[in-house]
Amino acid sequence: MLDTFEILTTSGVVVWSRSYAAVSPSIVNSFITDVFIEEKGAIAGAKDDQPTASNPPYRADQHTLKWTFSKELGVIFVAVYRSLLHLSWIDKLVDNLKTIFVDLYGDQLKKPNTTLVHCHKFDEYFDQQVRQLESSAAVKGSQPSAAALVSDDEAVSGNLGDEPPLPPGLKHRSIAQNGAQELPSTTESTPVVTPSNSRPSTPGTSHLVVGKGGPMAKMSRRARKMQNTSAPASSGDEGPARKAKKAPKKGRKWNADGYASEEDDVQLDYSAAANAATSESEAEGRSTAMESIDSSTWGTKTSKGQFVLKDLDDEVNDILASAQAKSTGSSSSGGLVNSGFSTISGLFRNVVGGKTLTKEDLRKPMDGMKEHLIKKNVAPEAAVRLRDSVEHELIGLKTGSFESIDARIAKAMEASLTKMLTPTSSLDLLREVDAVTRPSTFSSVKPRPYVISVVGVNGVGKSTNLSKICFFLLENKYKVLVVAGDTFRSGAVEQLKVHVRNLKELTQREGGKVELFEKGYGGDAATVARDAVRTASNEGFDVVLIDTAGRRHNDQRLMSNLEKFAKFANPDKILMVGEALVGNDSVAQAQNFNASFGQGRTLDGFIISKCDTVGDMVGTIVSIVHATNVPVLFVGVGQHYEDIRSFSVKWAVKKLLSNN
Amino acid sequence: MDDLKHYLEYILTPSTPVFVVGALIVLLVPILVHFYISSATPYTNLPSILLIGPPGAGKTSLLTLLERGDNAVPTHTSQITQSVELTVSTDGGIQSFRDAARDDAPGSHKKFMLVDTPGHGKLRESAMAKINANDPLKGVVFVLDASALDENLQATANYLFDVLLALQKRMGVGKTSKAPHAVHLLLAANKADLFTALPASLVKSNLEAELGRIRQSRSKGLKASGVAVGEMDDEDNEDWLGEYGAEKFAFSQMREFDVEVDVVGGSVLEGKVDKWWDWISERV
Repeated sequence: MLDTFEILTTSGVVVWSRSYAAVSPSIVNSFITDVFIEEKGAIAGAKDDQPTASNPPYRADQHTLKWTFSKELGVIFVAVYRSLLHLSWIDKLVDNLKTIFVDLYGDQLKKPNTTLVHCHKFDEYFDQQVRQLESSAAVKGSQPSAAALVSDDEAVSGNLGDEPPLPPGLKHRSIAQNGAQELPSTTESTPVVTPSNSRPSTPGTSHLVVGKGGPMAKMSRRARKMQNTSAPASSGDEGPARKAKKAPKKGRKWNADGYASEEDDVQLDYSAAANAATSESEAEGRSTAMESIDSSTWGTKTSKGQFVLKDLDDEVNDILASAQAKSTGSSSSGGLVNSGFSTISGLFRNVVGGKTLTKEDLRKPMDGMKEHLIKKNVAPEAAVRLRDSVEHELIGLKTGSFESIDARIAKAMEASLTKMLTPTSSLDLLREVDAVTRPSTFSSVKPRPYVISVVGVNGVGKSTNLSKICFFLLENKYKVLVVAGDTFRSGAVEQLKVHVRNLKELTQREGGKVELFEKGYGGDAATVARDAVRTASNEGFDVVLIDTAGRRHNDQRLMSNLEKFAKFANPDKILMVGEALVGNDSVAQAQNFNASFGQGRTLDGFIISKCDTVGDMVGTIVSIVHATNVPVLFVGVGQHYEDIRSFSVKWAVKKLLSNN
Repeated sequence: MDDLKHYLEYILTPSTPVFVVGALIVLLVPILVHFYISSATPYTNLPSILLIGPPGAGKTSLLTLLERGDNAVPTHTSQITQSVELTVSTDGGIQSFRDAARDDAPGSHKKFMLVDTPGHGKLRESAMAKINANDPLKGVVFVLDASALDENLQATANYLFDVLLALQKRMGVGKTSKAPHAVHLLLAANKADLFTALPASLVKSNLEAELGRIRQSRSKGLKASGVAVGEMDDEDNEDWLGEYGAEKFAFSQMREFDVEVDVVGGSVLEGKVDKWWDWISERV
């Protein structure tokens, strides 16, 4: 059963909610943080006004969240339910409720300077929708395997990838088509039973099917649609369900090749019927609105004991039908005169401002912005993601007075970059070292040395940056133990020896203390690191800095050592050194290193070295943050020990957007 | 055609009416345009109070409580700033925010904007921009969670440090000789209804101690990228919060920069925010 349904604004106010079981607010909070603010995973485009099924469900703490988002009004619709349950009608519920809510209360939400939305009456609409969908799901509930089978299909077709998302109307039709093709097969193979028989007397029980986590829980929209159209037919057994999987597949092939290509002669006996149905399904796709009204009125009649107000029902269906009709008809453009007028006024507004931005307006300048970012050494995938997210943000917005599109885009891009590069929590290294080495007398935490290790590919400057951090810590009078964890490359230990000797001389008068811990060559780096940490805590060192051997990020043999290393040394901070000079490889490097420390351990930050050699081309920073969501902490800007800086977002954004 | 020629001749010939009409146009048009533009953009000159603070402290809850007057609605993490227009009584007719929230409250009122900002680390930029913006900002309410201050002390103090520093710098950068008006800060120690909540005095001393430590470590920390070597020495003074060179930090040091800091406890859930409301009414 559904645990909670909430409607909340982007400003954080819960406008309406219905709770069946207590759900910790932290679940929704972490959902918002992860999906909307930090944009974890590759779901940057998910913020559009797309239906629920296309938004990846969010899972946290044994709960699954299905959601959709209305960008125009800034309203998020979230349904929370136990991950164990397999609720096939959730997507439909969320979508329908969104349509109804936006229709009824959209005006109230648009009002500025208030958070008040009077929507007490929404309870009734919600109840009506839940009842209706639950009862229709009761029929489908007996066909869960079909849903599971097709959901794989949907996963492929749903992520069509680089193409711009189709307008909802178009998508809808093609899906309806597939669903309709499936319809004859079911009717053919199983005798049609009267609907009143097929409807179980207790709706709401059969949807309690235990899902197997992954694909089961993700109910596809197509499957839902398919079941919707096949609802009048009896609940089939395994046979038609398996066939049902084939039918949509074939349908897509036809779409790609055109109807003429009939040579895939693995045709089963029902293919002719399905073929004939395609033309029919066109009409059906258009008239889905009508059909949904029909089935619902019919549903309220048959299900006893669930008295639903008739007028409310009609109203809801009207809203849904009109919304659907709107989305189907939206693709048609206005007449010649109309478009001519809008072009002129568009040109005018382009100068004066107050122009409503459309995808066409944005395409060219956005591509220009993407090129600009790529020129700044941003990896193409990061640039594309930034472009898309800024585009999503801007479509439908109005430019300010006397503001050109380019200026607006630059502003939005700056905000987007700032948001991306700003870490969730700022790092104050000295405060953290203090907190670990000299915990307050109240807490029961025992003082221990603070462990930092650096990793990275060969030759990016791991040892150099380690020495720079060491110098900075020594200036602040810490006792530092430098560990030669590179037991592989000849000369690595000697290199660190030289660094430590220099640092000793430099900091003698400052009062810091630095020692080198080394076990020669050939030993196991993880063991050396563990011994070093032990020694450090025995001898009262404050900070342990562990150098590691450089390794190629795509060499599985070398990378697998890192997991053991992370376990043995258990560093407080694992920093990866990446050079600003590197090109598109930076994304793969960052991702591979980020994933190499085993479960539950990721990188804690990046050091970007050699920033002085690239000028304004600091795009590497964007690439790696895009790939991993791990913040950049330090940048190396020169050859001397003091040439390390804490990373400033403003500085990076300015360099990225500068024009030269 | 002859008419037009005649007309043009008349206009281009220097004469008293032409001069008068010309002068009137030159003088009046800019004024009219100004009034037209300023009337087209309302709500710009309402005084505003900024709600700021770490995530999960109760900023949005407080906002909804003050707006609705009866009780707060459940809230989640905010993503955008949200302004709400509220009124305070100017003649002392009503005291409580509960009455002020009613539409038919008696007496005369003054409108102001209460601006809620997201507390998430990635979204603080907008809040900080609001402090530096040219709005008629009347006060900043820093909402914090007094019940979980022990765990969040560092994060809270870090944010507070940034806010105080921004307020301090704001006083320093007046372009005109006229000093910018003072903006005071209220530390609203929320969630006093919970068992673990610290009293206001303890919140104050804990934060002062932590701010002192942050100030110390920031002064020793690495320079930010983009700052050239040598440029830093004279900037040292600017990034030092409070009285320069002082051993310990105290909120009273902020008076030097015309920033009064008050610490008041309260609870949004129980509706005990009257003191905060009084503070806000005073500033507006």
